[in-house]
Amino acid sequence: MTLLQVRNLSVDYATEDGVVHAARDISFDIAPGEVLGLAGESGSGKSTVAFAIARLHRPPAFISDGSVTLDGTDVLQLDGEALRAWRWREVAVVLQSAMNALNPLLRVADQFRDMFQAHGIHDRKEIRARSADLLNMVGIDPARLDDYPHRFSGGMRQRIVIAMALALSPKLLIMDEPTTALDVVVQRELLEEVADLRSKLGFAVLFITHDLALMSQFCDRIGIMLRGELVELGTPTQMVAAPRHPYTRALWNAIPPLHPPSYPLEGPLRPQGGQVQRQ
Amino acid sequence: MTPVLETRGLCMSFGAQKLAALSDVSIALHEGRCLALVGESGSGKSTCAKLLTRMLRPTEGTIHFGGEDVTVLRGRSDLRTYRSHVQMVFQDPFAALNPAHSVQHHLERPLALHKPNLSRAERTEAASALLRQVELDPATTLRKFPHELSGGQRQRVNLARALAVDPAVIIADEPTSMLDMSIRLSVLDMFAPLKRERRIAMLYITHDIATARYVAEETAVLYGGRIVEMGPTDRLIDDPRHPYTKLLLEAVPEIGRPFGSTRLSVEADRVRAISRGAGDLREVAPGHFVREIATN
Repeated sequence: MTLLQVRNLSVDYATEDGVVHAARDISFDIAPGEVLGLAGESGSGKSTVAFAIARLHRPPAFISDGSVTLDGTDVLQLDGEALRAWRWREVAVVLQSAMNALNPLLRVADQFRDMFQAHGIHDRKEIRARSADLLNMVGIDPARLDDYPHRFSGGMRQRIVIAMALALSPKLLIMDEPTTALDVVVQRELLEEVADLRSKLGFAVLFITHDLALMSQFCDRIGIMLRGELVELGTPTQMVAAPRHPYTRALWNAIPPLHPPSYPLEGPLRPQGGQVQRQ
Repeated sequence: MTPVLETRGLCMSFGAQKLAALSDVSIALHEGRCLALVGESGSGKSTCAKLLTRMLRPTEGTIHFGGEDVTVLRGRSDLRTYRSHVQMVFQDPFAALNPAHSVQHHLERPLALHKPNLSRAERTEAASALLRQVELDPATTLRKFPHELSGGQRQRVNLARALAVDPAVIIADEPTSMLDMSIRLSVLDMFAPLKRERRIAMLYITHDIATARYVAEETAVLYGGRIVEMGPTDRLIDDPRHPYTKLLLEAVPEIGRPFGSTRLSVEADRVRAISRGAGDLREVAPGHFVREIATN
């Protein structure tokens, strides 16, 4: 069964020097409840793909080819009010600097209310109760609904944003580098939280990162992007044991292992195998 | 061997409430060696860098450079001389370079300030040599502006800029955390020859203990402004003794080891709570210090 179907998706940027192909001929599926990771360097097109799927891309970016289908809906045909209602309800997005996505001038409760009202839920009591449940769900005391964002740590703000993203029970959660600004312990806590919520609520995740090791721990399948193309797709076990594309091998080798066989502090330090090309 | 830069009982508190950002930090940087200072956001690692470069003056404790007490330095010219010996490389490769100036300007400016005897031609030659040291091609790079460089290239330019004044110490504050995973190691590779050939003493500040093993002979783990464990990097990673060090190591993403086998989040809060106290630092093996858990 398939939840999301991306077929031959191409996204271009119109620039003064002509058209730049940011994503070329991308095809993949995500099953309900599956976590798919897209890895690649800055500029590889991974965020472009994520944005196009949520229809968040803006000119000069445009989708030049392909199709995106989510649960039977032709996403690229959605327009105006239909698109607005579809977002958040069907697909929710958590961005890289999600901790800065909260309005510093509004209490958390007001930001939940804005979101619910925008999606047709107006009963104040219901909004309050559902907001409290959502905070509770991500392990934050609901009494803190009336606090301003600066009263929370970066990790807690990310949790609040994730709670908001899940408010309307979306089928797909897109997370674009959600933990890049956090340190490793907080990152791990947050992703464990997402993994728990996923098994409870059943949403699928499209997880974008450049941290391949993290991805191999968190995702059911991994896709590797290189210069706008999806060059390899498989389970973490496959990708670790037998990466087929040289670039995938190079990416693995760029990760300093915590427990290497032996670690000379001087001289060429690279582990065996291919190298990531130096600029 | 006497350390190049050494702190004893460094404390720093901020504001009217005397919020302690750093308590009782004693570290030593040695010629040709690197110390990694590892900790999460808010652990006090950047405060430590600011004290060492004397952007801040510590509330308590001393800093010695080459045997001389620099805690008391006040005058502009004294501080400038000190800072020509102790240079920084910052986290953000985009913010650390002026977008309106070329790479050449960025490198020649410190040369003009700190080595006024150089002729114009000698300055340009020195700038080219600096770029070669960080493996950038002077012929194409000197004229470029920051926006024409990738993040990794900018960080190399920042390193070259720090090297321009022949420092004895380089403090690198999260130099790779804003770079792509795939180019982080190539930037860290730059450090080894600096230690070997220039005998520079390095302080590598990071939240990524895995890379500490890659560049640093010794590591100190900072939590809540205190060093909770310090010693040879290999020992710290292979035989961690403090619960917070263990937590950090557990949280490092490791290839192909799925979550779920261990629930870290349950453990994390408990470890944080017990790691805050002011127990004594005890030497558990030669050069390996662990802070005791305070019981009260």
